[in-house]
Amino acid sequence: MAEEYLAKVMAEIDEEVLRRRSSGDLPKRVEWELDDLFLRYSPMAGRNGSLEDALGVVESASFIDPVVPVDSSRSGGALVKRTIRRASLWYMGWVTAQISRFAAATSRTLRVLDERLSVLQTEFDTQRVPVAPVIETEWAHGPGAWWVDRVLERLAGQGGRVVHAAAGDGWLVRRLTDGGLDAYGVEPRTGRIDRAEIEGLDLREEPVLDHLRAVAPEGLGALVLTGVVDGMTAAERDTVVGLAARTVAPFGRVIIHSLSGQGWISNDAPVEADLASGRPLRPRTWATLLGRVGFDVEVVDGPESLDYLVLAVSGGGEGIGTTR
Amino acid sequence: MKVVFVTPRYGPEVMGGAESASRLLAEHLAVEPGFEVAAYSTCALDHLSWENELPPGDTVMNGVDLTRFEVAGRREEEFFKIDGRLRRSPRHVSWDESQRWLELNGPHVPDLIGALRDGDADVAVFSPYLFLLTVAGIRAAPMPTVLHSAAHDEPALYFPAIGDAFARSDALCYYTAAERRLVQRIYPVADKPQIVLGIGLGDPVPGGRGGRDLLGLGDRPYLVSLGRVDDHKGSAMLDTFFRRYKEHRPGPLALALVGPVSSTIEPHPDVVVTGAVDEPTKWDLLRDALAAVSPSALESFSLVIMEAWEQAVPVVVNALCEPTRDHCAHSGGGLWFGSYRQFEVVIDRLCEDPELRRRLGANGRAYVQEHYQWPALTARYARFLESVVERGRPPGD
Repeated sequence: MAEEYLAKVMAEIDEEVLRRRSSGDLPKRVEWELDDLFLRYSPMAGRNGSLEDALGVVESASFIDPVVPVDSSRSGGALVKRTIRRASLWYMGWVTAQISRFAAATSRTLRVLDERLSVLQTEFDTQRVPVAPVIETEWAHGPGAWWVDRVLERLAGQGGRVVHAAAGDGWLVRRLTDGGLDAYGVEPRTGRIDRAEIEGLDLREEPVLDHLRAVAPEGLGALVLTGVVDGMTAAERDTVVGLAARTVAPFGRVIIHSLSGQGWISNDAPVEADLASGRPLRPRTWATLLGRVGFDVEVVDGPESLDYLVLAVSGGGEGIGTTR
Repeated sequence: MKVVFVTPRYGPEVMGGAESASRLLAEHLAVEPGFEVAAYSTCALDHLSWENELPPGDTVMNGVDLTRFEVAGRREEEFFKIDGRLRRSPRHVSWDESQRWLELNGPHVPDLIGALRDGDADVAVFSPYLFLLTVAGIRAAPMPTVLHSAAHDEPALYFPAIGDAFARSDALCYYTAAERRLVQRIYPVADKPQIVLGIGLGDPVPGGRGGRDLLGLGDRPYLVSLGRVDDHKGSAMLDTFFRRYKEHRPGPLALALVGPVSSTIEPHPDVVVTGAVDEPTKWDLLRDALAAVSPSALESFSLVIMEAWEQAVPVVVNALCEPTRDHCAHSGGGLWFGSYRQFEVVIDRLCEDPELRRRLGANGRAYVQEHYQWPALTARYARFLESVVERGRPPGD
């Protein structure tokens, strides 16, 4: 509620900013100088702010003034400076005019680039593929699901850190830590982990792929993905396979739970399944993908083949097996 | 469990946000059952000179066993030359260059490092990331280490020798999720045990005097900006923006810059510069402000914002400062500006709309009460340290 109210107020403020900018009540050069001051002590990533801000700074700096200030704190200083200025103005004016012309041409070029980029951005936005949502069903994602004991059994005694995503309220992380594992969780959906964090679990609210990108090479003993890969696009799946290969240590494990094609179209699949850009892979496709990057893979089908579990261990060849 | 906090400066007279946060956390942890808390620091108060101003030796400060060690040598001029050069292209600085920068940045405290190496603490906590003491301490400590980086997006964060501290620490503690996002954009440390903790708020100690009276403003409304008055903290920018604002809106609104002054602020009838003030004065000034402004783009938490919200005072923050902007967005307790124009409109709205001020202040207060109360934070932190000690140092560290 508070966040919605704030968003509304900030939108009104932004609208008013645009209106005032177009009114011309503040000379552009003054506005750019003020914004340049604003950016002077900005963070590294934010330095120069938006492209529009950066262009403003470039444009404000593109005129080189040959008429140098002559104020002086020494008596007679101003007179001396004024004399030097008068004597050298023809020379300074000739040089600065060329620099100003070059700077103006550069800033015009940047403006053209900005306009082209804006058009591309608009086109890109209309074709943007949303990030895969977390897909969870009541029967397949929770402490009572058929695959949970298999995962716990397979990970018993696993060394290194074990990460579970999507961790939800941390129910599986809690089971893993109770079993003596060094486990933590990642949850991309907002508002799910507060209580578990307070209880002392190591849970982070962040996108799963962003998290894996920030893991050290071979930093994980095991990676457990449930509800994460089902609706991924081909590009996201390639990324997750690559990141698994990079982050899981030798003899570490990758465990993936996914709905099957049949489970995906069942009536109790969540609406996110319809909205996702991707569709679940057949289990053997996962086996092939993980096998290509050096994992030994076993696939376990769930009851009625509505879902399946991929159990992979790093450091072997391309063994593929299926059990039911 | 014995915990040792290591910071370059320590004590209530130190204005650094990270150092103050460490001290407050140490003091609150010291009253948790089962915890014995020590602090190792230097005799310096000024992080620019590292001059030894306080006596070395042991003392007890608010329940914490504090040992001060002398800094070996003052900061050399060469630092400023190399600093200016490396800041221009921080992502391309070599290991050797950044190590040299770190050594010149100091503080160099060999006795402290020796004490740490020979000490019997179960865990050592370091803050902030920026100094030689932190990097050398994490390298030398035989016990598990926790880095409270207090990172913000500045050139030094990208230096390779600094990355070494992140890589070698056994666990990380962040003030905000935004700080974690920043660090993880730069260093692959996501798999390390970590916690987003924040800083708790102490009980306000108001002096019972009117903020306007203290500032000599009669009945004029005022904006307050608390903290070091420093160009790097955005004070000069705020001062310039406010003067410009007043040229077009010559009303009664004033600006109070409250804190130790290290940049030049020209006299102006609408701008009051108080210098450093005591705690009761600070709370009195906050309570009566129309809004509190945090112009700094380089904050990793901002206790000042929390203090304003504690008094139900709305805040205005720098839009480029991810942690403070996140606080505002999540709490609904403040507005932000990313340009002069936005500053102008934000201040107009706050001046003209008392209901907006009331709602922002109330939202901020609820946020602070839910997330940043010491007892809950200390209990979480204690559990976190226990898990870090239980894990120990991985083999080979």
